[in-house]
Amino acid sequence: MIEIKNLKVAIDGKEILKGVNLTVKPGEVHAIMGPNGSGKSTLAQVLAGKEEYEVLEGSVTFNGKDLFELKAEDRAREGMFLAFQYPIEIPGVSNVNLLKTAVNEIKKYRGEEQIHALDFLKMIKEKMKLVEMPQDLLNRSGERRFFRW
Amino acid sequence: MSNTEINEIEQLANQEYKYGFVTDIDADTFPPGLNEDVVRALSAKKEEPEWMLELRLKAYRQWLKMVEPQWPNVNYPPVDFQAISYYSAPKQKKKLNSLDEVDPEILSAFAKLGIPLAEQKILANVAVDAVFDSVSVATTYKAKLNEMGIIFCSMSEAIREHGDLVKKYLGSVVPAADNYYSALNAAVFSDGSFVYIPKGVRCPMELSTYFRINAANTGQFERTLIIADDYSYVSYLEGCTAPMRDENQLHAAVVELIAMDNAQIKYSTIQNWYAGDKNGKGGIYNFVTKRGNCKGVNSKISWTQVETGSAITWKYPSCLLTGDNSIGEFYSVAVTNNHQQADTGTKMIHIGKNTKSTIVSKGISAGFSNNTYRGLVRIGKKATNARNYSQCDSLLIGDKCGAHTFPYLEVSNPGAIVEHEATTSKIGADQIFYLNQRGLATEDAVSMIVNGYCKEVFKELPMEFAVEATKLLSISLEGSVG
Ligand SMILES: Nc1ncnc2c1ncn2[C@@H]1O[C@H](COP(=O)(O)OP(=O)(O)OP(=O)(O)O)[C@@H](O)[C@H]1O
Ligand SMILES: [Mg+2]
Repeated sequence: MIEIKNLKVAIDGKEILKGVNLTVKPGEVHAIMGPNGSGKSTLAQVLAGKEEYEVLEGSVTFNGKDLFELKAEDRAREGMFLAFQYPIEIPGVSNVNLLKTAVNEIKKYRGEEQIHALDFLKMIKEKMKLVEMPQDLLNRSGERRFFRW
Repeated sequence: MSNTEINEIEQLANQEYKYGFVTDIDADTFPPGLNEDVVRALSAKKEEPEWMLELRLKAYRQWLKMVEPQWPNVNYPPVDFQAISYYSAPKQKKKLNSLDEVDPEILSAFAKLGIPLAEQKILANVAVDAVFDSVSVATTYKAKLNEMGIIFCSMSEAIREHGDLVKKYLGSVVPAADNYYSALNAAVFSDGSFVYIPKGVRCPMELSTYFRINAANTGQFERTLIIADDYSYVSYLEGCTAPMRDENQLHAAVVELIAMDNAQIKYSTIQNWYAGDKNGKGGIYNFVTKRGNCKGVNSKISWTQVETGSAITWKYPSCLLTGDNSIGEFYSVAVTNNHQQADTGTKMIHIGKNTKSTIVSKGISAGFSNNTYRGLVRIGKKATNARNYSQCDSLLIGDKCGAHTFPYLEVSNPGAIVEHEATTSKIGADQIFYLNQRGLATEDAVSMIVNGYCKEVFKELPMEFAVEATKLLSISLEGSVG
């Protein structure tokens, strides 16, 4: 599913990854461990397509495709998902709107039908119950108090 | 941000202006130039009563004594007022009796803009007045509104048919002598919309005026007057576009609103005049005076504006909070890209007791543009218990643009409570990467970030307009991402 061969990556001219090899088959779970600053996040970010990193050498195939030929959004649409160590805030955009847009972008890429806002809301509420998440999380966004006299 | 990202944002901002077409119609156009004879000819053309001509001449003489303001934070070569034509109207055979008689070329121009004028096809619940260059070409739903006593017509018609109302209120909120452009407008305004909502009437539909500049080398000087009598309500929308031309064109409008006791006026604008090309060539100079008087007790005036067009915008929709307990609101999104310049904001003048005002301003600058918020909150001596809340945010896209904030405060009543918040932020590479990683292309990511940023303003817009505003915003920022 993903095959990393001799991957060397630098940032600001400093080599961080010095030849990583890793093959992950469908269904496998791998944990990468290492001391702080050893390059775990760097590996994840490079795979996800963050631009600041410079790939010096090596190759990565993902679902049979050359990963480095794909734009970040296409990697995501192919199924690469990165959970952020430090989540990013987009003020004024509710979680539910972001999730719906993300799901529909991926559906579009795969030639599937778009999911309608109401159906999406229903689906997500069911899923949230499953994992016992508070429902008010949906409409939350990094928003300031709204002011009204 | 990386270079490729900057390029992408820039591309996003540089999408073409799709309203830039020119309609080929036979027009009746004055030769360029301005003098008393031109003012007289204009007034005669519009078959105006003597008192209107007198008002125009007085304003013209006033204007001659005034100088163009230099304080706005904008730069442009001096306007040659003698090179402008002050009247251009599509030639029409006779007085129009129905929409069927409007020149099909004009109807199709409005249809291209997404403003169908045939009543049965019109968006449900929006009555439209369409102004093409200097004249109003069609006002829809008139009969239906008439039944309720609502007057919605072109300013020219109002001057002829509702002279008493016009005489009483025209210039009562923005006097001719108020500023250089209001004086010019009072002298040469060509058309615009007039609205009167009688006592106790809640206008059942959105009233809308669509302004279109078509002719070259003409100025557009429209004049709008809205009067909401006691306990009435009206929501009014205004949209504007112009063809792409290499020369700059002047648009100097005046809008006056009057809200009597317990009346409410909601005024929304989507301003999308041609902004000039990528290098700053051409575009509209948008020098506009908009002011509302909350004359009656418990009255309320809300301005909501989405400003994406024009080469230069100079505009401060304001509220005079005269009546006790009256409320003024200003919600603004001003986008500048490429070489656009905007100096916009509001004035909230608290005169009556317990008056309240809210200001929410969202500036977005991209490209080489300059975006200035300029606002005044003045609390008069007698305005006990007055309150104001202001929030002025700036969002920068790229690093060659500028954002400036000039909030002025004049408080003469010690009991007033005035709050001001301001933020400046940048669209971060991290935010874009985060959204890319969730499957959004960079263009859509920027659009989502910008829309989130503007949410507080967009939710003040009527539904159809909010959708249009969202689209317009992504268009005007297309190519701007860094
Ligand atoms: N944007 C950056 N600019 C410069 N150096 C960086 C940048 N990001 C990471 N580094 C450096 O790269 C090295 C690897 O960092 P990385 O964040 O990948 O480690 P990590 O294994 O995820 O650490 P932690 O366990 O603390 O999360 C560190 O030396 C770090 O300082
Ligand atoms: Mg890490």
